[in-house]
Amino acid sequence: MLKKMNLEKQLGILILAFLALFPLFASGFRVELMGKFVVFIIFAIALDLVWGYTGLLSLGHAVFFGLGGYMLALSYILQKGVPMFMTRFGINEIPQFMTPLLSTPVAFLLGLILPSLLAAVIGYFIFKSKVSGVYFAIISLALAGLFQLLINDLQAYTGGFNGLNGLPRFPIFGKPLSVNTYYYLLVVMALLIYLFARWLTRSHFGKVVKSIRENENRIRFFSYNPANYKIFIFTISGFLSGLAGMLYVPINGFISPLDVGIGMSTLLVVWLAIGGRGTLMGAVVGVLIINWLSNLLSERYPDAWQLFIGTVIVLVVLFLPNGIYGSLEARLNQKTLSKRASVSQLERGMQRGEDFGNKRSYR
Amino acid sequence: MVIGQVIADGISIAGILIIVALGLGIIFGVMKVINMAHGDLIMIGAYTTYVFSTVMKLPFFAGMIAAFVVTALVGALIEMLVIRKLYGRILETLLATYGVSLLLQQIVRMIFGPGGKSVKNPLESSLSIGSVVLPHFRLFIILFAVFLLLLVAFVIYKTKFGIQFRTVSQNREMSECLGINTSLIDTYTFAFGAGLAGIAGAALAPLKTVSPTMGLDYLVDAFMVVVLGGVGSLTGTAIGSGVIGEANQLLTLVTTETLGKILVFILVIIVIRFKPEGLFKMERR
Repeated sequence: MLKKMNLEKQLGILILAFLALFPLFASGFRVELMGKFVVFIIFAIALDLVWGYTGLLSLGHAVFFGLGGYMLALSYILQKGVPMFMTRFGINEIPQFMTPLLSTPVAFLLGLILPSLLAAVIGYFIFKSKVSGVYFAIISLALAGLFQLLINDLQAYTGGFNGLNGLPRFPIFGKPLSVNTYYYLLVVMALLIYLFARWLTRSHFGKVVKSIRENENRIRFFSYNPANYKIFIFTISGFLSGLAGMLYVPINGFISPLDVGIGMSTLLVVWLAIGGRGTLMGAVVGVLIINWLSNLLSERYPDAWQLFIGTVIVLVVLFLPNGIYGSLEARLNQKTLSKRASVSQLERGMQRGEDFGNKRSYR
Repeated sequence: MVIGQVIADGISIAGILIIVALGLGIIFGVMKVINMAHGDLIMIGAYTTYVFSTVMKLPFFAGMIAAFVVTALVGALIEMLVIRKLYGRILETLLATYGVSLLLQQIVRMIFGPGGKSVKNPLESSLSIGSVVLPHFRLFIILFAVFLLLLVAFVIYKTKFGIQFRTVSQNREMSECLGINTSLIDTYTFAFGAGLAGIAGAALAPLKTVSPTMGLDYLVDAFMVVVLGGVGSLTGTAIGSGVIGEANQLLTLVTTETLGKILVFILVIIVIRFKPEGLFKMERR
C-alpha cells in the first residue's frame, strides 16, 4: 500500500512539474496543444469516475463535453452579432430562446447545468431499470451518434457541419488572457479536479460505488440502492465533462460536431483503457501518452496515425488488461503484497509453531 | 397514397436492417462479443463487391458470394488473432474490436484511397403497384433478407455445426467435456457472422457510396435492432428491424429525418425500461 501511494505521488508530482515547466521551453503552438491535452485529462477523469470506478462504460460521453462546449461557443459567437450561418437561413435577429446566451456567466452556468441535467435524466431512465453494462454501452453509443446528427441538423442554430469557427481566444473576464496564463489556469483546474476525484473515490461514497462495480447484488443485499449511486456519479461525471468542454473551446478556437459524437467518445474510452481505468493517474498517463504520440506521428506520417492507434489498442487490451499505469501499479502492489503475504505467513507460522512442533513430534 | 409508399420504403429499410443485424446478433448473442468492427466488415464486403462487379466486370452476384468469402476469412483471422484471448471479458472485446476497426479502415483507405466508389445497380427497373413504386433492387433486398433469415435458421437448427454452435453457446465447459472443439466452433461462428456482414455490405453497395467509413452508420442501427429485438433471437432481429425500419420512415413523414431517429431512440429506451432484455428473450435452459 505504501509503495502504491508512492508511485501515484511520485508520478503525479513529476507530471505536474513537467506541465508547469512546459511553457518555459516550448513554443506557443505546443503550449496550446498541451493545454488541449490538459483539458482531455479533465474529461478522462470524468469518464474514469463512471467507467473505472463504477463499471459503467459510457460510449457517449462526448455528448456532455460537446453540450458544455457548444453553450460557451454559441455565447461567444452571438456576442459578435447575428452569425453568418443564421442569416443564411433568414434569421436576422438572435432567436428569443438564445438571448440568455448573450451573457457569458449565464452561458457558463448553462454549460454546467445542461450536461448534468441530461446525465441525470438518462441515468434515471437507464439505471432505474436494471439495464446491464453492455446495453448501457450500446445505448450511450447511439446517443452520441444521435447528438452528432442533431447538431448537424440544426444548422440554423449551431452552424451545422462547419461547427463554430473563429472564437475569441481565452476571453475569460472580458479581456483576453495570454496563451500561457490560460494554460496555467487549465493546469490548476485539472489539479483541483484530480484532487476532488481522488477525495470522492476514497470517501465512503466512493467505496460504495466501487462495490457496485465488483458485485451489484451484494451491495443491494446490504440495503443500498445502487441505482441512486449510479445516477449520482453519472451526473457528477456529466458536470465535469461539460466543464471540460467549456475549457476546451477557448484553447481550441473552434468546436464542431466531431467533438460531440462517436469518434470523440470512443477516443476518450481508448485513452482511459490504455492508461489504466480505475486509477485516476491512469487517465492522466493515457491522455498524455496517446495524444503526444499520435500528434508526433500524424505530423510526420499522416496515414500511420490510425494504424498506430489501432495497433496500440489491440496490443494493450491483449497484453496489458489493466492499462499502462494500472499494470505498473499492479506489479508494484504484487511485490509488496507478496512480501506482506510472506511476512504474515511467517507470523502465522510462528504462532502455530507449537502446533507444528507437536504434530511433528507425534510422528 | 403517400402512406403506402412510406410503408413500402420502411419495409425495404427493415430488410437492410435484418441483413446488417443478423451477423451482429449472432456474434453478440452467442459469443458475447461486442463487435465494433462489424460496420467495417460491412464496408469490406462492399469493397469486395466493388472490385468484383465494377473493376473486374463480373456479375453482381459473383461479387456477393466473394463478399461472403472474403469477410468470413477476415472474420476468422480476427477471431484467431484477437478475440480468442478475450472470451468472457465483454468490454475488452469492445475495445479490441474498435482497434481492429481503425486498422481495417486505414488498410482499406491505403489500398483504395479515401474517396467514395460506386457499384452499379444490377436491377435498375422498378415495380409499381398503384402509385407505390418499389425498385426491383429494393424488392430483391426484402426477399433476400427473408431468405437469409431462413438460411440462418436452417444452419442453426438443422445442421451439425448449428447443434454444436447452440451447445457451446449454452454451456461451454460441458460442450468441451463432450468432445466438441469449442475454439474451432468459435472461429466458425465468428467467421459466419462476419460473412453475413459482408453480404450486407454487398447488398448495400449499389444503394450507397462505398467508402472507408461507411460502416459506422449501420453499426449503431444494427445495435439498436439487436437491443430492441432481444439478444440472440432470430425472431427478435426480424421484428426489431421491422419496428425500427417502419418507425423511422413513418416518423420521418411527420418530422425531419433526425428527429425521427431521435424518436426511435427514445422508443427503444422506453422498451428497454420495461423489457431490459429486449422484446424477445433467448431461451435459456
